[in-house]
Amino acid sequence: MILRAVRALCILAAVCAALTACSPGKRPSGHVSLRISADPTTLDPALIVDVTGGLIAAKLFNGLVRLGDDLGIVPDIAERWEVRDNGLSYIFHLRKGVTFSNGREVTAHDFLYSFRRVLDPATGSPNTWVFEKIAGAKDYAGGRRPDVPGLQVLDDATLRITLSRPFAPFLQLLSMTAAYVIPREEVSSRGSGFQRHPVGTGPFVLSNWSHHQELVLERNDAYFQPRARVRGITFRIIPEDLTAVTEFEVGNLDVITLPAPEYRRYADSSMWAGLISGQEGLNTYYLGFNCARQPFASARLRRAVSHAIDREKILRTYYEGRGRLASGPVPDSIRKWRPAPEAGYDPGKARELITREGMLGRTVNFYITSDQEVRDIAEIIQAFLAKAGLPVKITQLEWSAYKAALNHGEADLFWISWWADYPDPENFFFPLFHSSNHGAGGNRTRYANKDVDRYIELAQAESVPEKRYSAYSAAEAVIMGELPLVPFWHRKEITLRQPYLKNYRIYPIYSMDKGTEISL
Amino acid sequence: MKEYFMRKMVLLVPLLLGITFAAFVLAKALPGDPVYSMVGERADPETIEKIRKSLGDDGGVLQQYAGYVSLILRGEMGRSYYTNREVFRDIAAKFPNTLRLAAAAMAIAIPLGVLLGLVAGLRRDTAADRAISMISLSFLSLPVFWSGLMLMLFFSLYLGLLPPSGTGDIAFLILPALTLSLPATGTLARVTRVTVIDLLDEPFVRTARAKGLQEMRVSLVHIMRNALVPVITVIGLEFGSYLNGAVLTETIFGWDGIGRFAVEGIMKRDYPVIIGCIITGTVVYVMVNLTADLLYHSLDPRVRMNDDNG
Repeated sequence: MILRAVRALCILAAVCAALTACSPGKRPSGHVSLRISADPTTLDPALIVDVTGGLIAAKLFNGLVRLGDDLGIVPDIAERWEVRDNGLSYIFHLRKGVTFSNGREVTAHDFLYSFRRVLDPATGSPNTWVFEKIAGAKDYAGGRRPDVPGLQVLDDATLRITLSRPFAPFLQLLSMTAAYVIPREEVSSRGSGFQRHPVGTGPFVLSNWSHHQELVLERNDAYFQPRARVRGITFRIIPEDLTAVTEFEVGNLDVITLPAPEYRRYADSSMWAGLISGQEGLNTYYLGFNCARQPFASARLRRAVSHAIDREKILRTYYEGRGRLASGPVPDSIRKWRPAPEAGYDPGKARELITREGMLGRTVNFYITSDQEVRDIAEIIQAFLAKAGLPVKITQLEWSAYKAALNHGEADLFWISWWADYPDPENFFFPLFHSSNHGAGGNRTRYANKDVDRYIELAQAESVPEKRYSAYSAAEAVIMGELPLVPFWHRKEITLRQPYLKNYRIYPIYSMDKGTEISL
Repeated sequence: MKEYFMRKMVLLVPLLLGITFAAFVLAKALPGDPVYSMVGERADPETIEKIRKSLGDDGGVLQQYAGYVSLILRGEMGRSYYTNREVFRDIAAKFPNTLRLAAAAMAIAIPLGVLLGLVAGLRRDTAADRAISMISLSFLSLPVFWSGLMLMLFFSLYLGLLPPSGTGDIAFLILPALTLSLPATGTLARVTRVTVIDLLDEPFVRTARAKGLQEMRVSLVHIMRNALVPVITVIGLEFGSYLNGAVLTETIFGWDGIGRFAVEGIMKRDYPVIIGCIITGTVVYVMVNLTADLLYHSLDPRVRMNDDNG
């Protein structure tokens, strides 16, 4: 009997050993090791909507233009461009000698192909909005015409893009992931496999992608701009924050985003404090109201909520200063006008307004995601509102259900953030406040104001910066008066790096990080 | 026996149909919409509808279910909505990892749990029994996310002996297997102890002792063999559940197994992944239980299979 049991155990152990696959090798020499919490959904620029995908794609691909250090537009594959017809037409002149990692030179035909592919209904891209300002693009995407007249190849090195109407931040749109150039022959030969075997022009090429384990990028020595200083980047996929912290401490990761519960421990440590970096992102965290139905159809009640909450105190205490107090919906780094006056903390006034609206003691629902930090913030808000006489029932939903609930207008109050796709006020005003974007378009407060719509449309078409800012300022004044949302703060990304890492910096938008500067 | 096995296999077909239908309806009834996750933060209704159509997610639930069943009959499980990878291939790639983890956890839990239970049962009401009871209760009660992190801190950070996370060779396997084995060890120790105590007063044990057999032989051969039937039941249940993925352990240690895959699918409402994992889980569970049935028979010939009775 014992012998049999021992034999059975030996067999079990042998099965374990036999099933043992290759282990992930040690970090390749000269590679910087970074953490991502999940696999990117795809690496096909036409299909990417997640930040992780965008972060990696920025290292594999290039577009016509990109964002410079000051968030302005600088040349990428286009070495120069002309804007004609009062901002209706753009002519891009491409650099010579830029090659895909398969060795073929990039031409204007590749851009034509790549942009049309995003719009092609067969691609099923969720990013068609990036190109919808191009003449004929909407009809092409809707299958109503066979071509896009606004996209024209003048010669191998020249591309003309004509818009259906002027759109001031059009160049910023072209810095986005969806506007990267890809080679037609690779897409044709790989089909849907292209998203796992991407070929681009970027400073790195994908050498290995082990699902749920790691992505390895190797330096592209034929890159047309200054080459990366590291030989490669290994992205380890580690879902759990505390596991990532342990991996960092044992030296397997070079940089981590500091989880909130760990921040104080490292900030107070003499060994690590100097290695913490922070960068305010282009984001706005806000408390949204459902303006399309009672009780928050009333601007007075919305104002009462704003008066009831001491945002500065929450930021200073719970949030430990890991953000900048928002004075409007647009981050300060891209706002070029004076902020509109806010409805600041005034609990007495809050209670008075709530009473006048007949809402004293009447419960409203408050939808949040299942994140613990969000739960904590929601409970603080709940306490402030209860003090002002407005009880709040918190409903916590998993992300997909939460988004569906918001898009269908089920929440009275909700907590969410907006992260910029490109550094322009338009990227906050249009999706968040224009009445054409209710629900999934970004305007989850279902706010509608004809004046605001008009100011936003004016600013979109205006090429003179001062006039645009003036239109945005006017829109912001109306918005901050009617308060479809209460802007809380612009969150900082806080990271911790190893002491041997050089030239490390955090970028306000993921697409700016080409990975070429960092070194070991 | 063969007929019994075949009958179970045939019964698997309606079981799978029922399970997949229930899972399909439940998944669709869940709040949330995969298309909203796929389109990002900004999309117009036209794009949303286009993507919904491309997923085949625009018809009624019955129509979608019929489409899925026809896929299964062709030996496929469809493609993930997000990655466009074949679900069957992903499961085939991840299942060996889950099997390794479950087998390694059981390889630790079975000898340790049975030994502790045997000693506690034979030394009932002594200090050793109380200590073992306390240990097994602790193993059973400690949440995996806590014990896993503690083991990681101790073995990886302080001792530097083992890698904290990743999927790989035996070094990567030890910590998650150890973590996963703790509750199973606790359960096995408690079940073995109770069974051994019950058996101590049985006539066949008294007879064995009266024959003058050594106590060691009485314990290991006469008591242990008879104690194994309930122990095998527990092993079957634990092993079956581990083979369906140990979500927390796999997440903490970054282990690329079925559990993480299934939960990610659930979070994103990736229906082909959810249903694929449920089908795999059902088949595995039935197979493990069938194996346990066969083991009962070989351990205790009094246990008859249905066909033998019939």
